[in-house]
Amino acid sequence: MTARPDPLIHPITRLSICGLLAAGADWLEFAALRDVAGISDSVLSKQSRVLEDAGYVEVRKGAVGRRPRTWFRLTAEGRHALEGHLAWLAQLEEEFSASTRDVRQARSLPGDRDQSRPVLPPLRGSS
Amino acid sequence: MRDVSRDPAALELELLRVQRGRLADRMRPPWWYLPGTVIVWALFFAGPFTSRSFSSPTSVSTWAIVVPILAVCCLLQWGMTRATGMKAGPRPLRILQDGLFYYRPGRPAAIASAVVSVAGLGTEISLIRHGLLWAAIVVAALAVAAEVTGQQALLRAIRQDLRGGGGAA
Repeated sequence: MTARPDPLIHPITRLSICGLLAAGADWLEFAALRDVAGISDSVLSKQSRVLEDAGYVEVRKGAVGRRPRTWFRLTAEGRHALEGHLAWLAQLEEEFSASTRDVRQARSLPGDRDQSRPVLPPLRGSS
Repeated sequence: MRDVSRDPAALELELLRVQRGRLADRMRPPWWYLPGTVIVWALFFAGPFTSRSFSSPTSVSTWAIVVPILAVCCLLQWGMTRATGMKAGPRPLRILQDGLFYYRPGRPAAIASAVVSVAGLGTEISLIRHGLLWAAIVVAALAVAAEVTGQQALLRAIRQDLRGGGGAA
């Protein structure tokens, strides 16, 4: 798996949509995806169209009685892009934790060396 | 929970974990799902009591068992999809990812369910042939209970899978 950022998935709403569609369900209904992602109807419509145009998401429209239903599914291409992006995020997180550790070690006093240290909150990342 | 307030990458990953947790919580079956599952498995284990194994004048055709099972299964699946907003098809027990096999959390429950089905039916048929009808009924009841428990474990595994991202990091 190549860890690389995907500019299309980078915005948090699109990352949420793709991440939720990759979670394990074959198809996710519009309302379910909207509620779980915590976004509005219009945002989901707009962002899903962008992902659909890029070939990352497959959209199926149907109806139950008179009520229209829209279903989403992540394509193989979308899954591949998401996995690369998530790997990149995990790598960033790891690098950030490592840099925080280095700063903490640099700041520690010689007398503190044998004492157990509390975990500090991470500092702002360099990325 | 870790402090991710200052790390954007960690914040995004944490948000995704929270949303997946919400998605998993949506997968909780409605109240009617459990009785429906009991009906399906009860019909399934009533199979050996049909005409093929039981040559009484009141015996019924195998189709009289198979058709209701399929009908109730379809109804349960349709209702579950409507209630949760998720469609989950047949799940493979393992998936190939980056050259390695990734075992899904529901694998033990699925294998146990298959074993109980075969063993339960086999035992029932054998007991009926030996004229031990009450013993066969007891075995059927135990098998139904085991299958329903397995079904619950499978649903828990699906929720665990959803929470973990289904193998996508």
